[in-house]
Amino acid sequence: MSANPVPGVSPDSLVEIRDLVIGIQRTRKDRLIIVDSANFDIRRAETLGLVGESGSGKTMVCRSLIGTLKRRSASIFAGSIIFDGLDLANLDERQWRPVRGNRIGYVPQSALTGPNPVMTVGKQLGEAVRRNRKRKDKDVRKRGMELLDLVHIRRPEVVYDQYPFQLSGGMRQRVMIAAAIAQDPDIVVADEPTTGLDVTVQAEIMKLLQEIRSEFNMSVVLVSHDLALIDEVCDRLVVMHAGTCVEVGTVPDVASTPLHPYTIALNRSRIDIATPGAPLVTIKGNPPAVGEWPPGCRFAERCDLVQEDCAVGRNPALVEVRPAHWSACLHTELLGGSHG
Amino acid sequence: MGDALIEARDVSVTFGSGSRAVRAVRGVSLHIDQGEAVGIVGESGSGKSTLARVLAGLQRPDSGEVLFEGENIYQRGKAYRGDKRRLVQMVFQDPYGSLNPRIIALSAVSEAVRVHGVGSRADATARSLELLAQMGISERDAKKKPRQLSGGQRQRVSVARALSAQPAVLLADEPTSAIDQSAQAQLLNLFQGLLDGGLSIALVSHDLGVIRYLTQRVYVMKDGEFVESGPTIEVFDNPTQDYTKKLIASIPGRELRKART
Repeated sequence: MSANPVPGVSPDSLVEIRDLVIGIQRTRKDRLIIVDSANFDIRRAETLGLVGESGSGKTMVCRSLIGTLKRRSASIFAGSIIFDGLDLANLDERQWRPVRGNRIGYVPQSALTGPNPVMTVGKQLGEAVRRNRKRKDKDVRKRGMELLDLVHIRRPEVVYDQYPFQLSGGMRQRVMIAAAIAQDPDIVVADEPTTGLDVTVQAEIMKLLQEIRSEFNMSVVLVSHDLALIDEVCDRLVVMHAGTCVEVGTVPDVASTPLHPYTIALNRSRIDIATPGAPLVTIKGNPPAVGEWPPGCRFAERCDLVQEDCAVGRNPALVEVRPAHWSACLHTELLGGSHG
Repeated sequence: MGDALIEARDVSVTFGSGSRAVRAVRGVSLHIDQGEAVGIVGESGSGKSTLARVLAGLQRPDSGEVLFEGENIYQRGKAYRGDKRRLVQMVFQDPYGSLNPRIIALSAVSEAVRVHGVGSRADATARSLELLAQMGISERDAKKKPRQLSGGQRQRVSVARALSAQPAVLLADEPTSAIDQSAQAQLLNLFQGLLDGGLSIALVSHDLGVIRYLTQRVYVMKDGEFVESGPTIEVFDNPTQDYTKKLIASIPGRELRKART
């Protein structure tokens, strides 16, 4: 893999993820690999989309960026995540402390792992503001209010002393964003931040993330399985399937000339661009389960254009097929220009 | 609208009483015709799920009436008596919550098949496998428990269960919101096939993309009332109410769709 030109090597690269392998050590000899050879960069001040079906490894990659894999009993077996001279793949818990939350913020899935239900908004924001430093209560409150104001919460002085259950889903997610940006991080990782929220609220949250990104010159990593959403808000995207990155490129490039059959199939199953009533094109079968990956290309079984050499050997690596546009498909020539 | 299968007339539902009363549904009227897909859209708290429950006979309205084939669904105090119960089936948002976690998919379906009275145990099993196959669930997957299936598969098992009754109307409450995009496409294709086969579907959703794709008519709900209704295409192309405009403006990918079509 390292012989190949790697995705996104560019002076703007803030994070370089190379050949990242994530898995669970079940017994001393038994490893369950969940993600292998994740390869992409996060550039300064960009919004990067991470798409793929459930189980493709998106969340695991996110967790490796904030060092919380252990909480899912997973760990990094190989590869590197270079961020400002640090290799995030090799940090211990003590080394993570100045990075997680301070330089890389995290916005969780809204409904599921939202704020702590028994702590007031202010108390939780206070934790995010204080981190491990001593600060006067008065200053913490002031900064908390400032943050609530930044995420456009009306009457911050009231909300500050409220509990999460008193807030709507959209408000709660705003509070989580406020906490994520409390330390003015370089990167905010948002894992399906609008799942379960109404469309109008989803649009507002996305607008807020975009606003914050440009105001503070942050990079946003947005995980979603909604291609329509990614198309609308992201600069570049990474398509994941069965634990690998299969396509990396700018949103316009991937939309006009997708270079992986999986991306093409995903696009065809979109309802926002479908003709009402016309059959939607679905992807054959199910994504291969973790631990049951077939040899060769893991999409081969589901692919319409599958060739003899697809399902043998190693999982194909990303190759720069067009400038700044990578694909792991062995037969991009078959994709022609007829798609998109 | 002469052949309305289900009709709701001036239906209201209030939860609680006194100063804390919540008027979830406020004097709403609608009809669902034979072979038609009707959408009910609105945000959380708009009352759309309550309305679906009223149509299914799971929630008794405080006032107004629901008619099935021209007859009030409540007869002698109970909704959908006798054979009518079979004809109206509901699919819920979260298949994980509506399937028994300890029962394999096949048994979950054959249980429903037997309730609706189809011959022997062996016949029921054969019929269930057939239904599951229609939903794209293989015999191998049919022997799995809900937690071993993907979200999309679980939802299709729920649909198979609902169809085992050979209903005339399917009431689906947010059937696609817990599953990802490709699974959603599979389910929508299934629904389209069922519509072609003459089934009527009422689809409750906050996802306007799904509504636009599947339904012919749509009711837009806000604070317990319909603010706008009509043929789906017209409502989407020329929304007259500010609320509908705002909803439509929030669909992600909208700009892209415009550019491509």
